[in-house]
Amino acid sequence: MTNTSAPCPSFGELSDYWTSDITPGDAERIEAHIFACERCARMLADAERLRDGIGALARAGSTQAFVNDAVLNRLARDGVRVRSYALGPGETVRCAAWADDDVIVARLRADFTGVDSVDAEMRFDTGEEWAQATDVPVRMGETELVLALPAALVRSAPTGPMRLTLRRSAGASGERILAEYVFQHEGTLQR
Amino acid sequence: MSTCEDGVVARAVAATDADEATAAAAETELYRRFAPRVRLFGLKHLPDRSAADDLAQQVMLVVITRLRAGEVREPDQIGSFVLGTSRMMVAGQRRGERRRAAIVARFEPFDEATETSNDLALDSRRLAPCLAALRERERTIVLMTYYADRSATEIAAALGTTAGAVRVSRHRALASIRDCIEAPRAS
Repeated sequence: MTNTSAPCPSFGELSDYWTSDITPGDAERIEAHIFACERCARMLADAERLRDGIGALARAGSTQAFVNDAVLNRLARDGVRVRSYALGPGETVRCAAWADDDVIVARLRADFTGVDSVDAEMRFDTGEEWAQATDVPVRMGETELVLALPAALVRSAPTGPMRLTLRRSAGASGERILAEYVFQHEGTLQR
Repeated sequence: MSTCEDGVVARAVAATDADEATAAAAETELYRRFAPRVRLFGLKHLPDRSAADDLAQQVMLVVITRLRAGEVREPDQIGSFVLGTSRMMVAGQRRGERRRAAIVARFEPFDEATETSNDLALDSRRLAPCLAALRERERTIVLMTYYADRSATEIAAALGTTAGAVRVSRHRALASIRDCIEAPRAS
């Protein structure tokens, strides 16, 4: 017997249903509610559209984010063209985006001992900020962070050096700067 | 929309004394109400969108046929009947899919097609800035969830946190994205 007087699930609970982060019993309860409540059915459709839209953005290489191998593997499976650069602290790399690249990945190696989150910023030599991120999660024992940038964004950047600085997140004690990297951006290349 | 109103529509479909136009209107209304829910159920439980679309059509055909034949004992609980029919047909499709996969594996190579976005996809011009406005931790979790298809437990292991914390961050991120998307409409 379906009972619409049961409380409507929250949008978060519906998203947990999509990702199977709930028990089978809770999933059945949500399904029974959806088939008795048109309003919640619409909300579930919204959750599905959101999931679909986020996937489409990622596949298009349109998202700037710190990612990990799970995301990179999915990009590879989807045929997204990824160009990677790996740097250690203090290193400089000559880099460019090819015209058909979708995503540029920077693998940033550093000693993250005792660090659970960092802030990052990229600046031109003029001091002008080009990109920044706060509260990037760092797992214990991590040795590198992976920054994915839309290749279109990189192609639109002026040539010349760009300095990327990683700092312990605000509030952490001690020296905040963890590492600096220089990207000698050489523009867009054609095949 | 209440179960009661769904029941009214179901009883209208089941009515044997209705004229053709009235019966057709009732069937259309029942389809409008339930086919999207069956499709969502299919998206959750079946491997691709076309299978979910097929499920919606097949289930609604069975439901309408059985209503018209007087085989639905409680039209007021039509939602439960549609859900039960959906579950049975998904179980049947899974059995069929396992048999098909076994045959394909034995006799021919199989290339998995990459799914493309369809008309359900949100307008990326609206979604992209909302995704960009999230805190970095939340954006990472959202991408791992909805693009890399990782569970909260897997994401927690990758980020060195707990599954509960991942779910909380994800709920907060989704609320932010929804507010951000709705904001231009409201203003």
